[in-house]
Amino acid sequence: MTASAWRHRLAWIRALPLLARHVVRTMPWVTLISGCLAGLAFLAIMARVADTSHSPLTQGTVRVAFLPAVAALAFVVRAPFRPLSQVTPVPAWVTPASHLLLAAPALAATCWAQLLIMARTIPPALGRPPASYPLAAQLAGWCAVAVAAAACADRSRYADLGGAVAVPVTFAAIALTWYAPVTARFLVDPPATAHGVTIAWYAVAAAALALTGAAMRDQWHRYARALLRHGSRG
Amino acid sequence: MTITARRQAQRPARRPAPRLATVLDIARVEARLLVRSGLVLAGLVAGGVVIWLFIHPVEPLWWNVAWEIGEGQLVLAMAVLVAAQLAAGRASRDGLADLYASFPASAGTRALGQLAGLAGAIPASLVLIGASAGAVELIGAIGTPAITVLAGGLLLVIAAGAAGIAIGTRFAHPLAGVLGALALFGISSQSGRFSGAVIWLLPWEFHQDDLGFIPGPLTGYPPAGAHATELAAFAVLAAIVALAVTVRAVRARAGLATAGIAAVALIGLAGAVQLRPIPTAALNHLVTESANPASAQRCTTASQVRYCLYPGFGSLLPSWQAPVNGVLAHVPARPGHTLTVSQVGTTSLDSTLTHGHPKRQVARWDAELGRAPAIVRPGSAIYLPVGSWPAFGGQLADARFNLALAAADWATGIPITSSNGPECVPFDQAREAIAIWLAILAAHPRASELQAGLPAHGIGAGPDIHGTIVPIWNFRGAVAGQVDPFGSIPLTTEAGYLLAHAMTSLPEQKVANVLKDGWSRWINVRTTDAQLAAALGIPMPKVPVPPTALVRRLIANQGPNIEVCGSG
Repeated sequence: MTASAWRHRLAWIRALPLLARHVVRTMPWVTLISGCLAGLAFLAIMARVADTSHSPLTQGTVRVAFLPAVAALAFVVRAPFRPLSQVTPVPAWVTPASHLLLAAPALAATCWAQLLIMARTIPPALGRPPASYPLAAQLAGWCAVAVAAAACADRSRYADLGGAVAVPVTFAAIALTWYAPVTARFLVDPPATAHGVTIAWYAVAAAALALTGAAMRDQWHRYARALLRHGSRG
Repeated sequence: MTITARRQAQRPARRPAPRLATVLDIARVEARLLVRSGLVLAGLVAGGVVIWLFIHPVEPLWWNVAWEIGEGQLVLAMAVLVAAQLAAGRASRDGLADLYASFPASAGTRALGQLAGLAGAIPASLVLIGASAGAVELIGAIGTPAITVLAGGLLLVIAAGAAGIAIGTRFAHPLAGVLGALALFGISSQSGRFSGAVIWLLPWEFHQDDLGFIPGPLTGYPPAGAHATELAAFAVLAAIVALAVTVRAVRARAGLATAGIAAVALIGLAGAVQLRPIPTAALNHLVTESANPASAQRCTTASQVRYCLYPGFGSLLPSWQAPVNGVLAHVPARPGHTLTVSQVGTTSLDSTLTHGHPKRQVARWDAELGRAPAIVRPGSAIYLPVGSWPAFGGQLADARFNLALAAADWATGIPITSSNGPECVPFDQAREAIAIWLAILAAHPRASELQAGLPAHGIGAGPDIHGTIVPIWNFRGAVAGQVDPFGSIPLTTEAGYLLAHAMTSLPEQKVANVLKDGWSRWINVRTTDAQLAAALGIPMPKVPVPPTALVRRLIANQGPNIEVCGSG
């Protein structure tokens, strides 16, 4: 490919500053923040219970409390009016990808706040809370799986319910990795080591993001079989 | 005027469809959608998997399993909640609110139809109950199912569906239903953080109860009737909320408000009943049958071994007898004292049982339980806790091996458990290898399972015996059957296991003859592994010695002192 052809293909980058406002305005903030706040509210209630029952919160509770945020993220990837946006010079994946980038700080802040709430319930006599880097890797992996499932559902006939389809798929995947002995050997600490769990979950996240990228760049139109039949007759 | 227009003018004005018929029509359609919903079917499968994970590890006790089936119903309930919310929010979500508003059926009628359509979730719930009950009976359940507990699970599914419709009528976004389902799961999964009777107020309690460890059903534990009432009242309340959002008429709203107050009052009443203490007489009975098992257990003597089980547990007897008889068949001479294999009931009462009772009464119960034979004289018998014996599969094979090993320890004079002292290790004692060999012959465990107990990198850790680190053989299935409920049975050495393993490769008759010829010598504390190996004509297996640095570290990290086992 010649340099001029490359320049032509990447011309849409110049439109990004103009797109920023549109991306921020179409970002499903209410959905994302509802998910993050629901998890935080749940954890705050559990912290209150932990104080009265003298049983500090664990990373297990943080995992449960992070699930609403993961669920909310599955609704962020949706690209409305995709058939229309596909014919514009700017690639259709730019908007959902930008939404994901905007969601990342909100998710990181939620994770940080949840770890802070957990740490506050641990009395000093019990020492420092366990290392959080494997947990962060695990939650990043969960988010990436949710995004990949949502992106794939968004390119299917069930695009309208992409998030609603992606959430149970993600939760099923999480449950499977947790309870299936084959996956638990690599993805759950113990039996795996903290270091091993971190590497394994970042690998899962990388694979899921690669799948997300492929799904977002996919330009096929998918119609119901009946519609296709009618089309071929016509 | 055209003919068509004249006909239309002559036709009487179409009357609105009767409301009940409309509600039933909508209910039929919604129920059919719910029955065929992929989400509900996935919830059914996931619920079944959850129930299986909970019930399969041990012999199912119906008073415990009925509650565990409810834990699977919770998973189904989450799926039904999401499906119902998606159905209720359909019109608003698809931007068709105006179109739906033009229909003859009002929003209130549609909500009523959707609520009635929750009947579509009943088949899935009943299938879950039926399949679980069938599986439990096939495994060999102990006791009889409590219908009120099972009905509670069904009501949980209905209540969750009603909550889903209530959420969907107000919040159409699918995330609202997901958050509702997660709230249901989050509260129940964290029930371990609650204590006392509060656990019964949660939608469905997980893991905090003692149902799996009591030797029979206990009155008021769980408070199934009151819990089912709470769930039913919650379902009614959620339905009222769903209707209140959609109904416009002032009179109807007033009626709903009255019904709502009644539902809240019923929830409060059911909650108060669940918080009531368990009857003293029931707890007295539980404590007596656990502290003084002879008063409740039925004992059977077979092949000079006494088996004592609580009423209803007779089906476990053959599973216990097989490994014990297998050991005794190969023992040339038995010890003078009788071997007893006995069940252990509750060893302590937690706050879910004792809530609401005076501290003095609780202390009296604790003191009585502290005098139980299993606690005062743990070495007097092989004690197996109620609700810990596996039902089938690899776990059962491991439990049989553990029981056989305990019986072989008794036969060779190794203490079954140490009484109130530190655990011991039969270091360089021939009788240990003999006991392991007997247990292998009796229970036929998988060779791979036995080999897995050896250290992964060839160099094992173990206790410090007179300045020597004794590598230990850690049988992976040691916890199966909880043959060592108090964690005080003797440790098994790597050398003992390797010698026993070498013995299994010899002709059985040859080993039996050698043992028979000098039995009293072989079970003597002073007879060493090397002497036994020499008598059998095999080399003593080599045990890799840990490096000096590791030995120093292991000695520095030693816990309580472990002694060499003496006479049993």
